[in-house]
Amino acid sequence: MHMADALVSPPVAITAGVAAVALLAVASRQVRKDSRPSLIPLMGVLGAFVFAAQMINFAIPGTGSSGHIIGGVLVAALVGPWAAFLTICSVLIIQCLVFADGGMLALGCNIINMAAVSTLLAYPFIYKPIAGTSTRPWRLMLASAVACTVGLEAGAFLVTMETEASGITALPLSTFLMFMLPIHIVIGLGEGLATGAVLSFVGASRPDLLVPSPSVASSGEHKRKRLWPVLACFGAAAIVLGVCYVWIASGDPDGLEWSIAKVAGNVDMGSLTPPTAIMPDYVNSFSGIVGALMVIVLLWALTSLISRRVDRRQPVAEKVRVKDK
Amino acid sequence: MSVRLPNPLLGDGVSTRNHLSDIDPRALLLVAVGYIVAMLSVPVLDLGMLIWFAAYPVVMAPLSHVTYSKVFRKSLVTLPFILFVGVMNPLFDHRVAMTVCGVDISAGWISFLSIVIRGLLSVQAVLLLVYTCGFNGVCRALGRFGLPSMMVTQLMMVSRYMQTLGEEAVTMHRARLSRGYGRRNYPVRDWGPFIGQLLLRTVDRGERVNRAMVARGFDGTLPPVYVRGGKAMGWETNSTVFLLIWGGVIFCLRYFNLSAIFFG
Repeated sequence: MHMADALVSPPVAITAGVAAVALLAVASRQVRKDSRPSLIPLMGVLGAFVFAAQMINFAIPGTGSSGHIIGGVLVAALVGPWAAFLTICSVLIIQCLVFADGGMLALGCNIINMAAVSTLLAYPFIYKPIAGTSTRPWRLMLASAVACTVGLEAGAFLVTMETEASGITALPLSTFLMFMLPIHIVIGLGEGLATGAVLSFVGASRPDLLVPSPSVASSGEHKRKRLWPVLACFGAAAIVLGVCYVWIASGDPDGLEWSIAKVAGNVDMGSLTPPTAIMPDYVNSFSGIVGALMVIVLLWALTSLISRRVDRRQPVAEKVRVKDK
Repeated sequence: MSVRLPNPLLGDGVSTRNHLSDIDPRALLLVAVGYIVAMLSVPVLDLGMLIWFAAYPVVMAPLSHVTYSKVFRKSLVTLPFILFVGVMNPLFDHRVAMTVCGVDISAGWISFLSIVIRGLLSVQAVLLLVYTCGFNGVCRALGRFGLPSMMVTQLMMVSRYMQTLGEEAVTMHRARLSRGYGRRNYPVRDWGPFIGQLLLRTVDRGERVNRAMVARGFDGTLPPVYVRGGKAMGWETNSTVFLLIWGGVIFCLRYFNLSAIFFG
């Protein structure tokens, strides 16, 4: 679900980036108040853990996105929502900078879609009410499955909205939603079961690691909530979401009409084309493109040559070069 | 038994000394972000203008002591996802945008190519940023730009604990092989306990490492001075010059159509 830079326009990326930075500031302030001595190593280890888990991903055709687990609910269940938000953010930044997974400009979008939704929405509003303070495996499994599925669906929905707002791809919104939402239900369920399995093990072996720990709960600080009102709320939310989806998919004629018009190729698309996607008055020059390419090749040869000459003049000790693998 | 695994976040495989080593990471980060924003704001069909932006990775790669072919190959990892972004454009957009040797090329194909080039160039810019100043340098730059110290510490910690996690995984795998009498697979029912055990082992070891760090004066934040190659670094004139030169180049690439100027 990592969005690439090629998928977002600068206005959308900057808007999401500002929102992400604001959330980061709030999260840092909240985490600083946390006095648990084991929080820093726990966040570091969980970050590494989620990073490894997110490496298992697969492409979703026609969308420019990839599917994989997010891990936000798992981390939030162990360190709390704000610390989990920082942890997932750190994973996303590392993936972007070192492994080129997700663009640098799209980082704000990725933080909102994956880190914020799973840790600040799915965990407190879905996982926590269902799981309560219980360490029973079935309850942890149910809470994880519902929270991960809803969180991932919400994230996937945001990806389509941000892509649509950017206007880069020609994929109609309804088709895009049909690609994204169903497949993320499957991914969400898979992630939920994996999260539930790990949390069940942790709950049985080290219940003190779960947030809030049963020892705190038994002292009366946290009251156990009944399960059925929460499930009823989610049933209602699912129906509302389903109705909204049908409305969006069938009630937005622009995308469909635009696609048909493009296929037909005889409709003036001036009023329907997103402003950043198409520049109708532009005429490409083939000679200009070829000329630019030649200059770039020349520039590369020249820079490499100069760089090698400078290297030769430097003392041997400073010649530490990266070996091609 | 401890196992040393290569970790690019700790500098494995990254040049420790290059032509840009003395440039402040903040200048490198600013140029990289400015480059990506300017490049992505080029109109989708304006290939002539877009191609000039390849000048940045092509020039920066040798200066970072890394071959451009290596950067290009690494950036290809993201190609499948980039291809999926634009694959629908040729199907939907049939307007003629260019004619080459009598063959009409549709705007859909041009925009598809444009998306691929944008995707690759933005990835290359990010890779070069890390090749130039290392992951630690980027973290320091982010910290100097106001990223909360808690977040900077977290970034550094994740990069270090990845090593710990990998070592514990290797140890557990080795133990599993030793007691498995030749059985190498992991049954699905064992995955939860295995992963949970891996997590707990790594958490325990992480806590031990953290206690050792605290005993030696670690207060949860990193020291403010950026040291590279045994030398304390700060913003110097060369960083300003670097920023001004690349700022000017990027401005020219974005606001002057060099293809039209030089090649008609």
